[in-house]
Amino acid sequence: MRKIVPMAFFQVTNVTKHFGGLTAVHDVSFELKEKEIVGLIGPNGAGKTTLFNLIAGAFRCSEGRIQFEGRQIQQLKSYQICRLGIARTFQIVRPFAEMTCLENVLVAFIGNNRYAGNLSKRKNEAARLLEFVGLARMLEQSAGNLNLIDKKRLEIARALATRPRLILLDEVLGGLNSGEIAEALSLIHTIRDEWGVSILWIEHVMGALMKVVERVLVLDNGRLICEGPPDEVVADRCVIEAYLGESDD
Amino acid sequence: MRQNFRWIVVLGCIAVFAAFPFLLGEYWLHTAILSLFYVMMASSWNLLAGYTGQVSFAHAAFAAVGAYASGLSALYWHLPPLLTALFGAGIAALLGLALGALCIRMGGIYLSLTTLAFSEILRIILDNEYEITRGTMGLQVPFFFPTYSKVSAFYLMFVVTIGMLSLIFWLIHSDLGTSFRAVQNDETAAASLGINIVRVRIVAFVVSSALAGLAGALYGHYHQLITPEIASLNTMFLILAMTVIGGLGTFSGPIVGALFLEVLSEYIRVYGEFHVLIFGLIALVIARFAPVGLIGLWRRTSLAKQSSKTIAG
Repeated sequence: MRKIVPMAFFQVTNVTKHFGGLTAVHDVSFELKEKEIVGLIGPNGAGKTTLFNLIAGAFRCSEGRIQFEGRQIQQLKSYQICRLGIARTFQIVRPFAEMTCLENVLVAFIGNNRYAGNLSKRKNEAARLLEFVGLARMLEQSAGNLNLIDKKRLEIARALATRPRLILLDEVLGGLNSGEIAEALSLIHTIRDEWGVSILWIEHVMGALMKVVERVLVLDNGRLICEGPPDEVVADRCVIEAYLGESDD
Repeated sequence: MRQNFRWIVVLGCIAVFAAFPFLLGEYWLHTAILSLFYVMMASSWNLLAGYTGQVSFAHAAFAAVGAYASGLSALYWHLPPLLTALFGAGIAALLGLALGALCIRMGGIYLSLTTLAFSEILRIILDNEYEITRGTMGLQVPFFFPTYSKVSAFYLMFVVTIGMLSLIFWLIHSDLGTSFRAVQNDETAAASLGINIVRVRIVAFVVSSALAGLAGALYGHYHQLITPEIASLNTMFLILAMTVIGGLGTFSGPIVGALFLEVLSEYIRVYGEFHVLIFGLIALVIARFAPVGLIGLWRRTSLAKQSSKTIAG
């Protein structure tokens, strides 16, 4: 009898991405479990966002495999990956500037064929999502008129509207003050605990990230140099060197 | 209240238009028919350029495709023009599919240049394939009905225009229309939310080409003479100017722009070649002072009135 190996929820295997002569992501492998919150850190230019683009199908892997719930997805297009249940936010926000917040969320419903038969329910659901991220008063505002923080909130609302099983957050805390960070953290907890969504999260606001995540992956020069619980990772020699440079001794 | 007001305006316009044959003489009825053609062309081009951001210069060429396909099939197969007009629209849709697919990886200026090249290639073919198209002499084609009447042509064009505008209105307010605008605003974000941008862009191309083909076919059978002039860049730029002056990316903009410029061109026809200069100047002034076109200007003033009312009250 064949032995049944428990299938990983999400698995990246030996993924490499070349841009011409530059290797932005080099032989990276890791796994995510269901409902896990994992941080992805590393110095600027380490390849974090490139890795997101590979997972989300915006770039094609040069080598390697990406598996999600038992399916190979490295050949799929962005919209197909989204429909399978992987959503993302963008580090540099990309609102549909000339559309209202409500319409921004509707696009995600349309793309995933949700509530197609029931337009009033769809509108209510969109409004509910926008309330959830704190945009209740902005429903009919043009997305282009929002401030940066609200645009980031809109990114999250849109990503959630695709009903993801895994969400890729790219620097959602940048530029927030401490009160807003606390709010955002509770939001992220709710997304995981109540919605059962796994989260892979790039963040430079290290203190906040370390409070929330269960595991951290560290990228440096496109390579995965360290992986483990937050307290172990911050003490790791490789990580310290990557951020601060090599010590003399 | 606003909704009601809008319906009254729409129905009022339809009623006034429907009364034209009783109010206007031959000459202005002819102008009205041409206006209807341009309303169809500008509105369908706006669907592509204003709502998905694909600034195609092949729209007039698709009208020519529709006109010639319809005219030739009416001539050689002796089919009724009302049927061949649909055939013309179908052929335009097919070519639209091909050109749209070709342009799918292109954006902005590259798409514009490719469609411009297509347009010129088509015009040159129409000019030179004398045996089939009769070249610049023009192809004589039958009128819609056995007996010629401007009034019947007007009502036919009028009904088709209303139908086409209804379709476009419905489309831009449907999920597909929302996807159009999402793709125009940000393709990458749209794809990340599950929108199949290739499909959305091609659908826009096919629909707008088919509508242009239909408009072109009707135009040809009305004139009973089809020349390569339809496919010329003159026609294309006129359509572009109408849409931009009226208001790109708005439903009523191209309608207002087409009516305005067509009627205006009748008044400034006496200046001959200079009328192009006048169009250019108008476009310049509009671009400087009302970037969203005449419709934007109207909206802005009505908004200002509203807000001054709220402040006063």
